[in-house]
Amino acid sequence: MRRTLIFGLAAVLAAAGCGVGETPQPEGGASASAGGKVELSFLVFETPNLDAAFWDAAIARASAKVPEVTIKKLVTPNIDRTAYAKQLDAAGNLPDILQSVNPAGFAQAGKLAPFTDAELANFIAPKAGAIGGKVYQLPYNTQVIPVVYYNKDMFAKAGITATPTTYQELLDISKKLKDGGTTPFIVGGGGADTWADMYPLTGTVATDVYKKTPDWLLQRAQGKVKFTDPDFVAAAKKIEDLAKNEYIDPAGLSRSYADTEQAFRDGKGAMYPMGSWFATSADANKPSFEVGAFPWPTDDGSPVTPTFTGGGTLVSATAKNVELAKKWALAFDEDKENNDAFVKADGSIPAIKGYTPPADMGPVYNATVAIYQKGMQDGSIFDAFSQEAGDGALPPGLADKAALGVQDLITGKKNAQQFAEFLDDEYAKATQ
Amino acid sequence: MTQNRTRGARADAPRALPSPNPARGRARTARRPRKPGRFLPALGRFSLFALPGLLAYTLFVLVPIGMTGYNSLTNLNPFNPPTQFVGLRNYVNLLSDAEFHQALLNTVIITAIITVLANVGGLLIAMLLDRPTKLYVLLRGVFFTPVVLSSVVISVIWQAILTDDGLLNSALRGLGMDEPPGWLSDPDLAIYSIAWIMAWQMLGFCVVVYLAGLQGVPRELNEAASIDGAGPLQRFRNVTWPMLAPALTINVVMLLITGFKAYDQVRVITNGGPGNGTTVTMAFQVVQTAFVSNRIGYSSALAAVMLAIVAFISVVVLRFLQKREVSQ
Repeated sequence: MRRTLIFGLAAVLAAAGCGVGETPQPEGGASASAGGKVELSFLVFETPNLDAAFWDAAIARASAKVPEVTIKKLVTPNIDRTAYAKQLDAAGNLPDILQSVNPAGFAQAGKLAPFTDAELANFIAPKAGAIGGKVYQLPYNTQVIPVVYYNKDMFAKAGITATPTTYQELLDISKKLKDGGTTPFIVGGGGADTWADMYPLTGTVATDVYKKTPDWLLQRAQGKVKFTDPDFVAAAKKIEDLAKNEYIDPAGLSRSYADTEQAFRDGKGAMYPMGSWFATSADANKPSFEVGAFPWPTDDGSPVTPTFTGGGTLVSATAKNVELAKKWALAFDEDKENNDAFVKADGSIPAIKGYTPPADMGPVYNATVAIYQKGMQDGSIFDAFSQEAGDGALPPGLADKAALGVQDLITGKKNAQQFAEFLDDEYAKATQ
Repeated sequence: MTQNRTRGARADAPRALPSPNPARGRARTARRPRKPGRFLPALGRFSLFALPGLLAYTLFVLVPIGMTGYNSLTNLNPFNPPTQFVGLRNYVNLLSDAEFHQALLNTVIITAIITVLANVGGLLIAMLLDRPTKLYVLLRGVFFTPVVLSSVVISVIWQAILTDDGLLNSALRGLGMDEPPGWLSDPDLAIYSIAWIMAWQMLGFCVVVYLAGLQGVPRELNEAASIDGAGPLQRFRNVTWPMLAPALTINVVMLLITGFKAYDQVRVITNGGPGNGTTVTMAFQVVQTAFVSNRIGYSSALAAVMLAIVAFISVVVLRFLQKREVSQ
């Protein structure tokens, strides 16, 4: 019986994973699997555009360039890869390599490995998203956020012959459309996709706040400005007024991101303020009407192009082999075929020196790139509110709060002033 | 008369248990004295079976609860070290946290609605299905299906039904309603939509539990009540309902726990919106505070308070309902 007891206890301990005799890995050292390769985990996220086949092919191409590495792909349960990375990190399982996770918080806590200037030599904006002067996420692509995509048929039917260049013209167009029985703006944000309601505000903050004070969010972090300052309140007031005038339909707030895009395709509204990633979706799966694009207009008609540059791959500071992980991350982000695939699947504008998109890109993508290139030419590139990375980023969790606050603006539960006060309160909570 | 019979039948049961049996008593006294050392193997056998469960319970329940309790006394934020001991500050802050109050209110609303709706609906359907034909057996399976489906799947289906362009509003528009309600986009309605979905999912559970209870009601009791002149309502009130007391206890406690841990449906259907906090529940706030805002210390205090509330309400309700079972 005693032997049974001892055997039982041993079995329980073994099942509990006591791991007697397991050799610990040296810190930062390579864990070599069979064949002398290092296995690194890579966290990706899947969307209708970036599906499993896309990631598998892209991983295979990068791995072919760094044959010492084998990749174990991890997929997030939903599109919110940053929240999932935090959960993994809380359990002590931060993946070795991560795709498009917001580095805010991770970097400051020393959980990410910075890239050197030499490693960033091939990037157009090598210091984009820098935190304390160091870059933790490869600045591999640029997105224009928002671009106002519009239904050319609806514009023509309402007698609108030109796209607006001033905010007043945008309001005039909206009135015309509404008077003709068309909802001017399609804005979503239902289900888990609350973030999808942010883009009109991202536009007004760029035109009313960042144009005057490009480093506004950095100044907010230093306590020099507040959300309740007149410029920010004015930007929020524009959204409040768009909703009050019924140019934005609050019922759209029940639509998920996919449903919102579908609503635009179904002709349930004339304008769709969205990130530039919509461009390839519109080209690849053409709606029954022609899609046009224009930047969010300013009061005086001067150009403002809100963009985000970054969004690439990150490497954990505790990766099994940091140098190999960085080498693989660079191979992944700089690979021409991978970037072509990103351009085709997700409408990205690669920010890599010498890169040119495939020649067969569609008209909506080309119109979007033209907006970006014009912004580069006339020096009107500004940050896109709530999308920022680096020192000038919102504290963790605040972008989600802002998106919920925008829903209150649209439903009339908060006015612009209350929304701004709410953001200041949440900012204080997030940074305490 | 009926009540007396019911009480009599129940009162007999406990008396039957300790019935002294002289033969048994003799057998006990005649048993040979235990050999020294035999107690240890018995303990060993007991340990062998109990230890894995105890170990798993300790590892996966007690240790996390202890860690949560400890973390709740700190300002733990993995992205903002160092962690400091803050005593009860997190708990004090909760008292003035409007979002916590809103989450608590939302949780209470959801819990109250699902407890009432699923119980009333479950009982009615169980009484309709309490027939021995094959059709009714099939229908029981149909009603139980949502219980075994994942909450995420249920949520996705209901989101498709309740969204502005969804099935329900399309039907309402087809019937001539120009502006059907924004079931998920109206801040005043969304919480009730979530509660309805959860009640719908738990309905099958209540049906099955009540059916089991109904099938345990002795037919003779109802027959005797009929002979005594009791109508259907009197029979239900005086015979069936008292006999369903254990089923009610199970259903109420399970629904309370389900309501207080509401997370999946909120995450999938509204993400806490529309607007700030309209459908945020306590469980949702715990996860958001920990893994979006990174405030694990504060989130642990929220979780500890949630645990205390659920434990307190469950114990109080359980004791009240069990007392009612005994008194029936």
